[in-house]
Order: sequence, then C-alpha cells, then structure tokens
Amino acid sequence: MTKKKVILEVNDVSRSYFEGGKEFKALEHIRFDLYAQDFVCIVGPSGCGKSTLLRIIVGLDRPTSGEVLFEGKPIEAKNPQVAMVFQSFAIFPWLTVEQNVELGLEARRVAPSMRAEKAKRYIEIVGLTGFENAFPRELSGGMKQRVGLARALATDTVLLCMDEPFSALDALTAQNLRDEILELWSDPALPPDAVLMVTHSIEEAVYLADRVIVLSGRPGRQVAELEIDLPRPRNRREPEFYGWVDDIYSLIV
Amino acid sequence: MQPISRVSLGQIVGLLKAVDEAGGDADVAEIGRSVEMDLDALGPIVNAAEFLGLARAEEGNLTIEELGRKVLNAGLRQRKAIVREIIKELPSFQRLTERIQATGRPATREEVLAAIEERFGSHNAPSIFNALIYWGRYVELLSYDSRSERIELRQPSPPAA
Repeated sequence: MTKKKVILEVNDVSRSYFEGGKEFKALEHIRFDLYAQDFVCIVGPSGCGKSTLLRIIVGLDRPTSGEVLFEGKPIEAKNPQVAMVFQSFAIFPWLTVEQNVELGLEARRVAPSMRAEKAKRYIEIVGLTGFENAFPRELSGGMKQRVGLARALATDTVLLCMDEPFSALDALTAQNLRDEILELWSDPALPPDAVLMVTHSIEEAVYLADRVIVLSGRPGRQVAELEIDLPRPRNRREPEFYGWVDDIYSLIV
Repeated sequence: MQPISRVSLGQIVGLLKAVDEAGGDADVAEIGRSVEMDLDALGPIVNAAEFLGLARAEEGNLTIEELGRKVLNAGLRQRKAIVREIIKELPSFQRLTERIQATGRPATREEVLAAIEERFGSHNAPSIFNALIYWGRYVELLSYDSRSERIELRQPSPPAA
C-alpha cells in the first residue's frame, strides 16, 4: 500500500494570551498530521481552544509557538486551497446566493472571467440551483449553510475546515447536510480532498470522522487520537457506534 | 390541509433517515425525542413527507414508502429529479404554471397571492405562496425575483455529465 500524502502538519502548536504580565494558556503542544482523503474531527469541551486551533490552522490566528504547514509550506490565510465554513454562515444578507459565492472567489483572487462559471458549478454541487437570485432572508438555515459551503469549495479547495457547521441548524437539517458533506468528500472528482471539523458533539464526530482528536479543557491539550473504524454508512443506533461515543465521553469528562 | 408546506427537502430527507435508522418504521413521538424537536417543529415535516407520498403516518407511526426509499437512496441530482415529478403533479402548482403559460408573461406575487387567498383564505396565503416558490425553485421549474416580485417558468438545467 502506498503511503497517503500529507496535506497538513500541525507541529507542536501552542497559543497563549498575555494580560497584565500574566500568561493565559489556551492551547498546549497540539500535534497531528492530516492526509489526503482524511476526515478528522476535533472534539473537546467548551473553552478547550478548538475553534482557536482551527483559526490557527487556516491562518487566521498565529500560534505562540509551533507551526502549521500546508503542503509543506507555512499556512497563509489567503491560500485558496484551504477554506473555512463557519457556524454563523458568514454570508452577506444584501447579496444573492450567486453574488455571495462570487464574492468568495473575488476574495481568493479568481479571475473575473472565471467567477460566474465557477459559482454556477458549485451552486449546483451543493444543491442550490434554482435559488441563484435568492437573498439569504429567503433561505432556511440549511440553505444558508450550503451557500457557505459553495463559497468555501468554489476555489477547488483541497482542505475544507469547518467550525461547528451544523450547530445552528435543526437536527433533521443537520443530519441531511452531514450526509451530503460525506457524499462530497468521498467523491474523488469533487473537492475537498480532506475535511477537518471542530465540533462539541461527540456523536457527530463519531458519525463523520475517520479519526477523532480529543482535547481536554483549558488549556486545550491533546488527550487522544482515535481511529474510528466503523463501516459507512454509520447507524447511530447501533451498539458499536455508542461504544465509541462512550469511550470519547470518558476521555473528556 | 394546506396544499403544501414550506419545510425544506433537507428536513424531509433528515426525517426519512431518522426513520430508516430506527428500522424503516418508527413512532413519531420517539423520533421527536431523538432529534429534540417538538410536535410544532416536527409536525409540518411529517405532513409534508406524507403529502409528497414519501412516508405514511398511521396512529402516530411513520413508515417509509417506496418513493421515500428512492429519495433516500438517490444522490443530490437524482433526488431533485424524483421530487420534480411529484411537484409537477400537484394541483396548486399546476394552477400557477398554467396561469403563466396562459397569459404568456411572468405572474406577479400580488396576482398569485390573490388567487391563493380565494381558495385558501388570506390567513394561509403567504405561507402557501412561500411554499410554492420554494418547491418551484428547488425543482427548477420556476424562477422568482424577490425584488421585482415576478415569477417565471424555468427549464431545469440538464443533468451534468
């Protein structure tokens, strides 16, 4: 078997905040690699710094020590091959679906002549064709998150990072979107190559991930890296599934 | 009963999945507990799944129908094609598309609302209008511009290779 390609290296990342001469540690000595075709979830209690870690990984924040390499080079926020989907959707209410996706392409410096075509393609991929000229107020939460997803993927993204992307949605919408993300990720013809997701839901992590990285609370330390070898599609009602959920709970609580 | 409700297909598919995980047949109240949704939230989704012929509700029990199974097993694109065939056959949807065809011009929101009000009363009209627009857009048979408030017919995009 050939060794899988390393996409991302998180090398001993720590992050502290300094106030009044005192150091407040948020993250300590986080290290893991992400390979092509990986689906990795980071779970941990609130305040464990998991969102901070994700912001460092996409280049929106800097570690106090350690480094993050994407395809062997230090990560930069403007790298179009790494994109982020946010819990709050982060779409502009005064722009249509199409304009929101195109703006993402503009921000990632895609040539103007390419933008319309790319936007159209990715709107189709996330199932929003028909709603191109709709404004966010006309969309349900699930559809807003699809806009965020289309915008994130439209630069032919290699690594998709998601920060609690389903936690603002009702449970049924969330479950359907999880399966659609899995469908995209497992299709070799479509981006992304790998997904890194932060969640506070252990069940969600076990449902989605090949590997789960478990962080402890304040400061966030890596307490385990688990390989979830359950076959897909996974059934949340099966005892093996619950075995994993229980194992991870016991690591955190 | 409303001709169709404004719930999203994503919610309906989510519901079918929850029933499927429970073995293809489940108590609605139990599903409600497992997804932490009360009847106010879950009711319209159950009704829509039943209305579209994807599931059957009997005495508080929900069973996936053959068509629902097809939707569940389909990819995003096939799913849309299956739902398009269902939506096309809905009388309230047909009345709207026939009206646009007959007049040979886009319909306005005002006209369509008035026609819905006549049948279903003014209280229900806005939500029925929103539902028709949502489903019409989703299956790509209607386009709607919320600035001009005009509704036009649309040709579904061809299936991509």
